[in-house]
Amino acid sequence: MTLSNALGSSCDEVRNSLAQPESKLGPSPVAVPFNTAVGAIHGDLPSLDAELGLWSTRLTRIAKQLVLNLDSELAALRGRWRPERIALILGTSTAGAETTEAAFQHFLATGKLPEGYDLWRQHTYGAVLHVMRSLTGAQGPGWVVSTACTSSAKPLATAQRLMGAGLIDAAIVGGIDTLCAMTLCGFNALGALSAKPCRPFSKARDGISIGEGGALLLLERDVEPIVWLDSVGESSDAYHISAPHPQGLGAQLAMQRALDRAGCSPADVDHINAHGTGTPHNDSAEANAIHELFGDEVPVVSTKGYTGHTLGAAGATEAVLASFALTDGWIPASPGATPVDERITINIATERRAGSFRRVLSNSFAFGGNNVSVLLRSV
Amino acid sequence: MTSSMEVGVAGVGLFMPDFPTVADWHARRRSNEPQLPTGSRLDRRARGRSSVLTKALAEAYFEAADAAGVELGEGSAVFGSALGEVGTMLGLLNQMWREREEPSPMAFALSVHNAASGVVSIATKNRGFTTSLGADHDTPAMALMEAIGLIAERGEPVVVVCGEEPTPTALVPDDEAWELAAMAVVLAPLRDDERGSDVRLRGPFKGAPTLAGPELPPMVARNPQVGLLDLICAIEAGKSGILALDRGRGAGWCMEVLFAHG
Repeated sequence: MTLSNALGSSCDEVRNSLAQPESKLGPSPVAVPFNTAVGAIHGDLPSLDAELGLWSTRLTRIAKQLVLNLDSELAALRGRWRPERIALILGTSTAGAETTEAAFQHFLATGKLPEGYDLWRQHTYGAVLHVMRSLTGAQGPGWVVSTACTSSAKPLATAQRLMGAGLIDAAIVGGIDTLCAMTLCGFNALGALSAKPCRPFSKARDGISIGEGGALLLLERDVEPIVWLDSVGESSDAYHISAPHPQGLGAQLAMQRALDRAGCSPADVDHINAHGTGTPHNDSAEANAIHELFGDEVPVVSTKGYTGHTLGAAGATEAVLASFALTDGWIPASPGATPVDERITINIATERRAGSFRRVLSNSFAFGGNNVSVLLRSV
Repeated sequence: MTSSMEVGVAGVGLFMPDFPTVADWHARRRSNEPQLPTGSRLDRRARGRSSVLTKALAEAYFEAADAAGVELGEGSAVFGSALGEVGTMLGLLNQMWREREEPSPMAFALSVHNAASGVVSIATKNRGFTTSLGADHDTPAMALMEAIGLIAERGEPVVVVCGEEPTPTALVPDDEAWELAAMAVVLAPLRDDERGSDVRLRGPFKGAPTLAGPELPPMVARNPQVGLLDLICAIEAGKSGILALDRGRGAGWCMEVLFAHG
């Protein structure tokens, strides 16, 4: 597995940043007419080779960075499985919107699209699939899930299903999102964006900080893993297109389904990486759902104060971050949470904690009332 | 080759401006004038604010689910589209940069690719599984693949709905343009006693097609989701064979259509 976001561009860089807990959120590199803090990937991204030049966007260059990070693991994967038995299931909410935004601005200024802009190569889901197929060699089923903020959590469920059905042997799953003006302005219009770094579960929380990033996980049958994917629970709120069910009913269903599929009880879960966006309503609904199912013991962290809300990349990103508890034996502090809202009665970890973590749950919830909970287990 | 499994077909649905229902399509009974989808079974607020794509997907979903006798409050649905709510996105960009206004919060919330799956789950009070995916011209094949995985896992019917709104003219050349279309197929697990009857599907897999899609007007044939219409036509024709789901514009995914006497 690998990831790239405001904390760093590899698992080791991200671990090191988490060990020195301070927000990496800062001013937006995307011009918007209001103040907000974002989580941007720092440093240069790799270029695509000439034959993929037409597909070059920030999204596909993040994809290449992730693939380079997994070079040896992907070579081993290709050595074990035929290319047509390796699926590529990714998630994004933005796809190439950042490139289309620039093209649209050029169109407004000049009346024509910029030279070289190509919707199919730079905007659509097929574009990132083409680049990823080319970079990884995966030739099996391939698609992009786009369910807003659960986009990159759902591919873990899909891969597990397809493997269970004998349709594939391995899958490259994950997701990528980039910063876009429309996303920032849209959340601002909803009144959901914070002007400062977000503070999930805090009494002082006042909204989201958006981030960009990506994460990939290699799922395989019959190998000695880094961590086990126990199960994934999926549900719908059936309530509202952009607001969570006030009691977190859909969220609770997703968590319960993850437990049921794994044959686990709430007591088997040692840590929860919450969706924890930092809006008053979202955090309150999620805390209700967690409390209802798990009580007030299990330590809960939102890592969005470090990375920002990476939207379509958040599910995979936070599954990787949650897995660090299983492999490294510690969880980071939930940044900005102090003072915790007294109406939130779950156990928010406000300090880094060491411990023995056997199972962890990672939550992702989205517009459309789409909910996913990923349950991971130590080896 | 990717392994494949057999499933049954329990119902179909569609919405096209000239053929608003499957019955209209089967009878090739063209509307007097092009119709717009009404989204009549969506929540009233959502109906007023949803895009033409969301409403067309909803029309196709409900027609297929009704035909299959699917319990709307339960079960799974897979929504597919190559470009999704791109018209809503362009409208927001226009609002932000041409009109210099704050974008509409509701339009922003409905600009997500899973807007249709969200509003349909709200309308049907379904707290089950729904997803929304895209893979350009392979979207129909991959939506069917996701549904078949769900059937293998859960043993329940899955509604597969794929659609595309009219071409975003600012972004696509005229000679590549298509018109609105949404199609739905309900896949269902085969029971042992059903293996010799009804229409069955096997796939998707990469193979050599033996069935051709019907001749269609260019504005329909160019729609990236036309593969699902081709599948509905193949089922209608009642002839066994292997059908390409991408009209040669994707990765070559096919579905075998099997009739007991075809």
